Amino acid sequence: MSNTSFPVLSLIIFVPLIGAMAVAFTHNIRLAKNLALLFAVIELIATGVVVQLFNAEGNSFQLVEQHAWIPSLNIDYLIGVDGISVLFLPMSALLTLMAMIAAWNSVQQLTRFHFALLLALEGITIGVFLALDLALFFLFWELTLPAIFFLIGLWGIGSGRRSAAIKYTLFMLFGGVPLLFAIILLAVNHASATGGSIPQDLSFSLPVLLTTPVPDSLQALVFLLLLLGFSVKAPLVPFHTWLPTVAMEGPTQLTALLTGLKLGAFGIIRFAMPLAPSAAIQYSWVLGILGAITLVYCALIALQQTNLRRLLAYASVSHVGLVIVGVASLNMQGIQGAIFQLLNFTMISGSLMLVAGFIQHRLGSTEAIHLGGLAKVMPKLTCFYFLFALASIGLPGTSGFPAELLLIISALLAHPSISIAALIGAVLSAAYMLSFTRRAFFGPITQTGVKQVQDLQVRELALLCVSALLILSIGFFPNSVQKINRATAEAWLNQLMFQSTFDLVH
Amino acid sequence: MDALVTLIPLMPLVAAMVIGLGHLFGLIKDEAGETITADIASWTVTMSCLLTLALIGFDMQGVNTGSYQARHWLNSDTLDVQINFITSGFNLRLAALFSVLLALVIRFSINYMHREAGFHRFFFILSLFTFAMLLLVLSGNAVVTFIGWELAGICSYFLIAYTYDRQVAVVNATRVFVTNRIGDAAFILGLGLCYVWLDSVNWTVINAATELTPGKANALALCFAVAAFAKSAQLPFTPWLGRAMEGPTPSSAVFYGAVMVHAGVYLIILLQPVFEQAPLAMAVVASVGLITAVYSVIVGLSQTDIKSSLIFASTGQVGLMFLECGLGFWQLAAWHLCAHAVVRGYQLLTAPSLMHQLRGVTATSQRKLPAWIYVVSLQRFWLDPMTDWALVKPVRGLAHDLSYFDDHIVDCVMGSPAPAIQAIASLAQMEEQLLGARLDNDYDTFAQGSGLAGKLTQWTAAMLHWFEDRFVLRGVGKDAINYGRRLGHVANRFEQSVLRPRYLVLFVFITLLVAF
Repeated sequence: MSNTSFPVLSLIIFVPLIGAMAVAFTHNIRLAKNLALLFAVIELIATGVVVQLFNAEGNSFQLVEQHAWIPSLNIDYLIGVDGISVLFLPMSALLTLMAMIAAWNSVQQLTRFHFALLLALEGITIGVFLALDLALFFLFWELTLPAIFFLIGLWGIGSGRRSAAIKYTLFMLFGGVPLLFAIILLAVNHASATGGSIPQDLSFSLPVLLTTPVPDSLQALVFLLLLLGFSVKAPLVPFHTWLPTVAMEGPTQLTALLTGLKLGAFGIIRFAMPLAPSAAIQYSWVLGILGAITLVYCALIALQQTNLRRLLAYASVSHVGLVIVGVASLNMQGIQGAIFQLLNFTMISGSLMLVAGFIQHRLGSTEAIHLGGLAKVMPKLTCFYFLFALASIGLPGTSGFPAELLLIISALLAHPSISIAALIGAVLSAAYMLSFTRRAFFGPITQTGVKQVQDLQVRELALLCVSALLILSIGFFPNSVQKINRATAEAWLNQLMFQSTFDLVH
Repeated sequence: MDALVTLIPLMPLVAAMVIGLGHLFGLIKDEAGETITADIASWTVTMSCLLTLALIGFDMQGVNTGSYQARHWLNSDTLDVQINFITSGFNLRLAALFSVLLALVIRFSINYMHREAGFHRFFFILSLFTFAMLLLVLSGNAVVTFIGWELAGICSYFLIAYTYDRQVAVVNATRVFVTNRIGDAAFILGLGLCYVWLDSVNWTVINAATELTPGKANALALCFAVAAFAKSAQLPFTPWLGRAMEGPTPSSAVFYGAVMVHAGVYLIILLQPVFEQAPLAMAVVASVGLITAVYSVIVGLSQTDIKSSLIFASTGQVGLMFLECGLGFWQLAAWHLCAHAVVRGYQLLTAPSLMHQLRGVTATSQRKLPAWIYVVSLQRFWLDPMTDWALVKPVRGLAHDLSYFDDHIVDCVMGSPAPAIQAIASLAQMEEQLLGARLDNDYDTFAQGSGLAGKLTQWTAAMLHWFEDRFVLRGVGKDAINYGRRLGHVANRFEQSVLRPRYLVLFVFITLLVAF
């Protein structure tokens, strides 16, 4: 672990939080919006600096900061980055910035509060990516909840936004319980494994817990609890029903953040697997089957959707299924492909949802029957939508392809039968994406409202250009992403294998 | 001299990017921009064409080493996908032939598409397609070949859906792309298996592999054969070709007459050493080719428009090429491919003017067909309805059922908060209570849950409520209820003020502060 003098990671957690406070207490709405934008830009630059500071050759946590927080329980304020998490920082900063710009004019009431909440959510999300202390992680994890609750409940676009907010909260609270339970189990196990007493020798620090041997029976329990907790957030079947509801009722900029930043899958990679290595290897087939079921099940349901936002929600769940298949295959291609795909979807799913938001803002609906022939009146929007849709089905040239290729190859190496599910998913994804595109964007114009609609504004065009550029450039040069996480992914895999053989010997 | 090969596919890619970006941002538009677009597209493809010819010259003099590696594209563990090219032999000659044909078609289209809506879009797609095809035939590994393969597929989608405001065109385009996607999945499976078994995706390594067991060789060859069948419209994928005739004529010529339809045959010829180890796959290729040829002849008999009859003649010929490959006449198949590409490209390009030249000439002799063959031919062996019945309908049905299952069962079991209608019910109930009815009824419909979890919570709550009501409240006395009511009013007021935005923000920050 390397320590630095300047707390740059704390900075990127607290800049948005301070920004949120500043925005909330500014009276002038225009000024508040500009302030929010300024903070989001600063945050993006700061996360870019973190990526620059990050040394891709190192395979441990870097830029670590450690301060005592609750000394009586040995809970520290411990944060750091590694190759798995480092690229998520600029991606979440960029996505938040895009969500802000997209919502620039569409939020008419409680505007300051809205932008303050988006900034706060950004800070908390970055905290989730950075936290290396399980208690701190759990704090950030649960703190996302109030922000999202208010964002859905107050600015949702559906009539059922209140109940959607409650539904989301109930699901997340349900997911939080097993997480907390597993975290406590691990901390207590550390105390007993080192032969210490309970309050003094508890440990919540991830680097410490990774080296603590955990008995097999406990590992199985911990793994399943963590998996349960994370699969609610990821989401995996059957805990996915909150996402379509939120996509229909919530504001699209928030849905873009929720579908773009897949914290649940990140949690599985960061915590669930390494903390219970032998259980993870033993039950990897469960994980693989769960992923494959999610993948095919949601792709089939997406085929049946008539609303773009619901369709995107199901597509997003289906892609999480593929990521989980990759993680479960326990090889380099799988883990690297999973990280790659998660990064991709901050851009692809996020941008697609924002495009859906633009359509919703203009026409008041994303239902296929209210659209039809959009390509004629909105050629630019259609162009970008189409690019993102193609990236989402993994067309070569976009960033979706290398990730999907890695994931399918990893599945083929580990569980050949599951890779068939992945291939079926690839065919189905083309079917659901293109058949919706056909109904909504092509064909003759049938609705009078569609005829008068305006194409993209400069503001919207600029933000879609940024993500399109990223998608294409990563698609052309995928090794730029692979390079950053190679060392960490190798270490992750070795640690998993070593720890489990170590457990078997003892 | 090998390094020149990177420029060959790169030129049309640059053209596609310039035209695409220029058109998107309104720099190139309308009739005024036509010459710019036309110049960019035709000059770049001409350059590629000259480069391939030059490279053939170098190859004949023996200057080329036969392969060129540009750089690493994707690395993960032992998986190493390079951007590498084959710069000699059949690949280079085919690239030369295709680039010449593409250059001719692009030149032809400049006049043909003049003043058509979507002129720029057409040349963007055609340039992208040129890139895809040249990449496909020159690439030295399976992944990059697949990139060209899939891009050619999406270009075909774009051109079929060229008149995107016509419902039929777009439906057909979607159907064609999804059908092709099945072949693509087989291709991915094949290249994945190559990596798993041979630890490489380079064509040279795959072709040099001699240690493959017959089972593995057959599996590999069959995967690539299915991909080839889908791309070259062999049975059972043939019906997509009939749907693909919606695009402008020059694109039909280049896609389904001259160039793309041969990609499948190219793939089989490329993998000759693998196929020779796989007798089963050879037999499948031969029989599919033969059946397709027969099918195409019969269906072609009843076609009444020139494009369709030419297209079915095309699949027939391509079927024969597959038959030749399957029987082991590789050289013959390669020659057949080249010759057919030239002839069919010419025929399709001249098809529209043929109609002008033949005006006034009526068909004199209609061949007499037995009625049943005529019906079978007209219905194209009912292949489309059969796929609908065997594949599309079950998948749709399954999707429908799963969607129902998700909305009505999974969602309910997981529990969703009470819908608005129940809030109205509780309002009505509140009014009832105000009127004095059911005041002492301790069954309260307010706390209603749905779903398994919801019901469980509701029952627990009801039990606790009963306990509270009987033992705690009645035990303490009626005063406690009044006190509780007052407390409730205060809580209500508190909650109202808390729900004002500024307090909400404050609340979030207090949570944060307490946490630290």
